[in-house]
Amino acid sequence: MLTLATLLAGGQGSNIFVQQIENGITLGAVYALVALGYTLVYGIIELINFAHGDIFMWSTVVILAVVQGFGFKSPLGGLALVGLLLLLIVIGMVVSATLNVTVEYFAYRPLRKAPRLAPLIAAIGVSFILETIAELWRGSGPVAFPTIFPTNGFYILGARVNYLDIFILVLALALMYALNVFIQQTRMGRAMRAVAQDPEAAALMGVNINRTISTTFLIGGALAGAAGVIYSMYNGQVWFFTGFELGLIAFTAAVLGGIGNTYGAVLGGFVIGLIESLAIQYIPNGTTIGDAVVFAILVLILVLRPSGLLGQQVPNKV
Amino acid sequence: MLIQYRRSVDEIRQTLSTTNIAGRPLSWYLGGWRLGIFFLALALIFPWTLSDQTLVVDAISIGIYVLLALGLNIVVGYAGLLDLGYVAFFVIGAYTVAVGTSGFLQNSKGQTFTIPTASFWVLLPIAALAAGLFGVLLGAPTLRLRGDYLAIVTLGFGQIVPSIFAYVPYFFSNIGMSALPPPDVGPITFSDPLNNLPFYYLTLALVVLVILAVAALRDSSLGRAWVAIREDETAAAASGINLVRTKLLAFGLGAVTGGIGGALNAAYLKTIAPSDFNFDISITILIMIVLGGIGSIPGVILGAIVLRFIDVYLIGNVSNAVQTNPFTAHLLGGIDLNQSKYLIYGIILVLMILLRPQGLIPNTRRSRELAGIGASVEGASAVGLLAREESESVETAADDQGSTSEASSFAGAGSDAQGREG
Amino acid sequence: MAERTANDAVINGAAAAPPTTGGTLLHLAGISKAFGGLSAVDGIDLDIQQGQIYSIIGPNGAGKTTAFNLITGVYKPDTGSMIFDGRSIAGLSPDRVLRRGIARTFQNIRLFNNMTVLENVLVGQHIRFPSDLFSIMLHLPNYRHAERTAIAWALELLGFFGPEMVARQNEYAANLSYAERRRVEIARALASNPKLLLLDEPTAGMNDAETADAITYIQQLRRDFHLTILLIEHKLQVTMGISDRIAVLDYGRKIAEGVPAEIQNNPQVIEAYLGRKAEV
Repeated sequence: MLTLATLLAGGQGSNIFVQQIENGITLGAVYALVALGYTLVYGIIELINFAHGDIFMWSTVVILAVVQGFGFKSPLGGLALVGLLLLLIVIGMVVSATLNVTVEYFAYRPLRKAPRLAPLIAAIGVSFILETIAELWRGSGPVAFPTIFPTNGFYILGARVNYLDIFILVLALALMYALNVFIQQTRMGRAMRAVAQDPEAAALMGVNINRTISTTFLIGGALAGAAGVIYSMYNGQVWFFTGFELGLIAFTAAVLGGIGNTYGAVLGGFVIGLIESLAIQYIPNGTTIGDAVVFAILVLILVLRPSGLLGQQVPNKV
Repeated sequence: MLIQYRRSVDEIRQTLSTTNIAGRPLSWYLGGWRLGIFFLALALIFPWTLSDQTLVVDAISIGIYVLLALGLNIVVGYAGLLDLGYVAFFVIGAYTVAVGTSGFLQNSKGQTFTIPTASFWVLLPIAALAAGLFGVLLGAPTLRLRGDYLAIVTLGFGQIVPSIFAYVPYFFSNIGMSALPPPDVGPITFSDPLNNLPFYYLTLALVVLVILAVAALRDSSLGRAWVAIREDETAAAASGINLVRTKLLAFGLGAVTGGIGGALNAAYLKTIAPSDFNFDISITILIMIVLGGIGSIPGVILGAIVLRFIDVYLIGNVSNAVQTNPFTAHLLGGIDLNQSKYLIYGIILVLMILLRPQGLIPNTRRSRELAGIGASVEGASAVGLLAREESESVETAADDQGSTSEASSFAGAGSDAQGREG
Repeated sequence: MAERTANDAVINGAAAAPPTTGGTLLHLAGISKAFGGLSAVDGIDLDIQQGQIYSIIGPNGAGKTTAFNLITGVYKPDTGSMIFDGRSIAGLSPDRVLRRGIARTFQNIRLFNNMTVLENVLVGQHIRFPSDLFSIMLHLPNYRHAERTAIAWALELLGFFGPEMVARQNEYAANLSYAERRRVEIARALASNPKLLLLDEPTAGMNDAETADAITYIQQLRRDFHLTILLIEHKLQVTMGISDRIAVLDYGRKIAEGVPAEIQNNPQVIEAYLGRKAEV
């Protein structure tokens, strides 16, 4: 299964337990970024964007094309590395953000007044389209992503920490912080919060609903795009189906943390990352039933505590 | 050109309503169940008119999908519950028959256990009941969830259940079963590989039965209850409808039908393999319904036929055509269009839901709902945004204080109870 | 038509109201409900006698609809007891509350817009249909009988509001005028033969003529169907006109209770209303 390869990519130290913790945190950062996209969109229009994982995947696919276009095959250093990373991150974020906004405009916006079944079905359709086009372009199997980031690292507490891992964590945290500042302190951020709580009142206050929703999709997409860049470097391969798998895991993270709650998405991302890396290590045959296990977790959360860890305990009115 | 088309359609309609046969207009004969009888007659004589039996084989396969589509239509079309894991019930039906007729279980270590066998005819109702029971078990904890969550949870079940059959040791194994004994009864033998007629008529009989049952449900108090909960759960509950029970009935009945389809499929193919059962089936059936017409019996039947046609014939032929035509081969040569089934599925879903959500053969009431006609009569604000199916129930009564709507806190700022004044 | 007559006894007689007049039908004691720290209803006591028209009034946000929601099971009370017809109804789900004999209408009329008028009223009688699958799927005689009776009763209910309503039985509910929709909603509520009918602002959005009309048929409803009626109303001319007793809520508490004359002159009530805009 894909994630096992991912985790092994993180490097092995002498203390397996701590190593898995480190792996979990690194992976968790990626999940958190993608989970944020789910939660932002859900918070504002109460739609589970089934296609969000595929938006993430498209960033990885395009980034791969860029890197292959440059012809890089071995780790870069210094300024070249910085420049390339910057370029890739920008491209990744732009690709995913644009895709997300476009999808919203064409497939979800016309269905705002329709019964809720409709945008869900549309999202499923969009997901298929995005996946197959990527499959037709890149093939059905995973494609190797060149190692462009230096592979050095150091050891802490018996676990190997690569510089890449540090970069991933730093970038993710920086983006999350920026998001938080944006939501709390800018006008558009306030608008997003207002629309999430009460769209009608927000509109009456002069908030441009369409623009706010588009911005939300833009930001969610951008975060997923950034996640795509770091994930490709971490994982070493790109696959058209990653969107479905990782999307599912990230969605579970968002629900675990409390859907609609951005802090929850971050918390959920790291928790799921940890759970996954520990489970794969310590549960026999853990990898073969991976998908089913994640689903099982999701189902349990939704049945037992649908509001998640940080969500409001809203009584389920039948 | 569209106007020409419209005009000729109107002309046809005109002729249909004015030409009389035996005292009734032609259009009467073409409506409702009378049309159904016509098609039934066609279906009965259909195999005898063919020299080539491959179409009969296709028809059986279509028939099984029709069964499944009718079943999912109860859940999605009538009760309005998006079930993305319908394959789970299909699996249960198939395995019940497979195990029951072959008489042995085999686990992943190759050990076999024999169990008493039973005939297919006994196992068919057992399979149906097993699937139905499972539907109720699945539904009971999850039907309280909102639409989006329910979709995800059912998707999960659709993954988990087949996995259990495939991977859990001591239960079944990753190895399929083959050479299942056919359901011979009396002089009618199902085991002749060259004669598909018995299976054809069996499938046809089951399809007709399910159609009758579903139509009866649709026009009953239960059918009305389903419409009511689709429209307005709060008002439905206030009118005495037990929401969970009504939804469970839909879910369970859909599951029963899925089980019947699975049982029939196993008996017909005489072999099952865990790899057969996956999300592909769930989504295929859903697309049949969306394409054909949500909540419409003739619609989902047509949807099943059209989609099977696309799956089996169209993709292969178009792919060949593209490869052989020099112009397109150059343009798209590197791309294997046989892979593109999901692309077509995705396009169908998106286009249908955007442009013609009521499907090819619409159900009248559903057309109205999907056009949003009923949605904004009452309580719509001047801006009329974001109409939600379950409006925040009676909390939004302007009168009242302190109700936390379900809007979650966006940045963890905490959902303050909003006192809405006047 | 013999069937219909035989049913009249059930419809208009025993099932609708027990032979006694008066006596407590609904008793609320110490009912409280808070949402996330904000108290919506705080220690309410209500005593409603059989056959009364009892009004609940109060400024906006006073907790009136919350009280309705508590009674009908949409919310569960945090504290307190609710006894209806001698049995507790606290904690029951809305459909079970209906089975006990309490029906309601909503402030924002909640009809099933994509069903016809007749179908709406039929849904109101859902509890009178057999619930087992066999009867339903096979249209067994008991089911067919229930359907026939239900349709007859539905038409009779619509007929109460006039022949025009009966004539419009096959119209989609969305196509009706506001006043007509209100009537259909009441007919739907009556369809289950309730003992207690909760009307949430039944004259909201109506002009004077329609309001007067509504006042008339509300009183007629009580007579013809042996109902007890609990009313939320903003229009004081309505409440003062038809109520036997009135309870006044403010900030979730009951601040006054009595006959209309007492309420009109109650200084606390006047203050509560003067502090906010009251519609007269």
